[in-house]
Amino acid sequence: MTANHLDASQFTANQHFTADIVIIGSGAGGGIAAEQLTNAGFNVLLLEEGAYYRSNDFVMEERWAYPNLYQEGAARKTQDKSIGILQGRTVGGSTTVNWTTSIRTPPSTLDYWHSEFGLNFTGENDLAPFFQHAEQRLSIQPWPVPPNANNAKLQQGCEALGWQYTVINRNVNGCANLGYCGMGCPINAKQSMLVSTIPTALSNGARLISRLSVRKLLWQDHQVTGLEAVPVDAHFQPRSDIKVTIAATHYIVAGGAIGSAALLLRSAVPNPSGRLGKHTYLHPTVISGALFADDINGHSGAPQSIYSDQFVWPRDNNVAGYKLEVPPIHPVLMATKLIGTGEAHAALMAQLNKLQVCIALQRDGFHPESQGGTVLLDAQQQPVLDYPITDYMWQGMRQALLSMAELQFAAGAKQVLPIHHDAKLYSSLPEAKAAIEQLPMVKLRQTVVSAHVMGGCNMSVNANNGVVKQNGRHHQLQNLSVFDGSILPTSLGANPQLTIFALIWRNCQLLIKELM
Amino acid sequence: MDRRQFIFRGLALGISASLGITGWQYYASESDSNRDWVLSALLPALLYGALPKDTTLAQHELARTQTAITDFMPYLPVSQQQELADLFALLANRISQLALSGHITALPQLSVNQRLALLASWRDSYLLVLQQAYHGLRELLYGAYYGQPEHWLPITYTAPKFC
Repeated sequence: MTANHLDASQFTANQHFTADIVIIGSGAGGGIAAEQLTNAGFNVLLLEEGAYYRSNDFVMEERWAYPNLYQEGAARKTQDKSIGILQGRTVGGSTTVNWTTSIRTPPSTLDYWHSEFGLNFTGENDLAPFFQHAEQRLSIQPWPVPPNANNAKLQQGCEALGWQYTVINRNVNGCANLGYCGMGCPINAKQSMLVSTIPTALSNGARLISRLSVRKLLWQDHQVTGLEAVPVDAHFQPRSDIKVTIAATHYIVAGGAIGSAALLLRSAVPNPSGRLGKHTYLHPTVISGALFADDINGHSGAPQSIYSDQFVWPRDNNVAGYKLEVPPIHPVLMATKLIGTGEAHAALMAQLNKLQVCIALQRDGFHPESQGGTVLLDAQQQPVLDYPITDYMWQGMRQALLSMAELQFAAGAKQVLPIHHDAKLYSSLPEAKAAIEQLPMVKLRQTVVSAHVMGGCNMSVNANNGVVKQNGRHHQLQNLSVFDGSILPTSLGANPQLTIFALIWRNCQLLIKELM
Repeated sequence: MDRRQFIFRGLALGISASLGITGWQYYASESDSNRDWVLSALLPALLYGALPKDTTLAQHELARTQTAITDFMPYLPVSQQQELADLFALLANRISQLALSGHITALPQLSVNQRLALLASWRDSYLLVLQQAYHGLRELLYGAYYGQPEHWLPITYTAPKFC
């Protein structure tokens, strides 16, 4: 056990703590905040529902990583089970398990926020200095190593078709190109919150309590007055036998999209805009597999090093935009997504090392028929996301399947397999196109996944159009901030961690000025 | 009881009633045996083609997978654990199974093809809960099987020996 760390699952009696600032959640938002606020001299208490696992625990096996490092054992689903969601739940949050892709907020996204939500990130509000701070702090730079074959096929397909592509910036230092970022970096190369800002915060005097689930904020007269929490059990289920109470001067909710909204819903905080928990975005993602003659070995090497924005900002806004990337190819991740059963499934798995996989992440939240999902609470007061997929979105996904098939054949694929339960391996682009045009785009036939959860506590200038102000401060409760991806008013059209780092870095500086 | 539990139990009761049988009941205490019974029947079918030909080796792999499923399930949200328990109870009940599969034979006595056909019928069912059951079981079972390093030889996957 590290000094300044308490494991709440070891508590044997009720506990009470006090602090200047309590931060609920230790991911991209909470981790940045912990370092910034302790650097400024505040007494910070950092709370995390997950466990405090570190590099020695990261054994590069999915069977350990998914139940121990991910929300709901990496089996989180939307309410109708039609979208699978990968989201971290461990000290460091999703930064501990993400694939290190670090992209600044697209200017078109910031322009949309300005026009729709009055959010101005130009002039003195420019995020550029904070992107630079985060990039320097977390060793974010273009990946200098040639892409692995999985990413190289994405690049080659783009080159063959004249499509745009970019070498990805990654937050790594001393990366050995192993390919197991999603299971926790075993050599501390990934500059997640776990190995960067949180250790600094702890050395600055912050206290970390892990395996603690915050159940409710107490408030009255526009002020949060305390919070109630419980330890979780060995399987991360909230316990009822011990109660933890915490009082602080300022409260920062940073439980990630879905989690933060759920806490505020449980707390029945003022919600005059009616937007709390609503407009939660996922970058709904469809998948296309391809078999190549040569080995791909998509489990080895940096999981993401190339992306393509060829289709992310179509000129016609009635066409859904999507970003092209690749995922790492590990047995559980693939076995659960590849289609079929029995011999057919086994035959696909036997070709795992020749499998190349593309993913298309839809940019949701920019169209009237793409307004995201709503966080609800189940009988245990745990969050469930209701995320309807509209016809506009389904047609965008069909187009994405067509694009990925075209790219994979252009890169030399022998066969392409859209991950749809009515699809099969297709041996030519015309055959694949004809089949994809006919696939029924309906839930639980078309596989949809997500690794980016955003929104639900959106920022806005006007209190009737959001949950928090542009600086992350709650519109109604004066000593409450929300500092995580839940404040994004739409999805990003880019992987979210760098946006969250910069936005929260900026918001912390504003908060420090106000609290000093 | 939430909507899904209501549907599952309603389905089972409806099936029983349509056959003139009353008294379908679900006992939570039976959930472990229901689960084991159903997994013993479905795993060999889903994993047909992946399991080794050697019967003894195959039994070891099946047992290892079943243990992995049992170990993993407590990490799921309580609501999902309950849904799975309801599904296993439904499948373990001979009467409801008859209506679902069209076979009077108990699930473990069906051929592999009959078991796969049963799963395919859920995938294609007009009932959302059966579609969800197909996908939920499929992910749970395949995830448990392919999570075991002992099962990686046929897919020639090796994790680096780094630690």
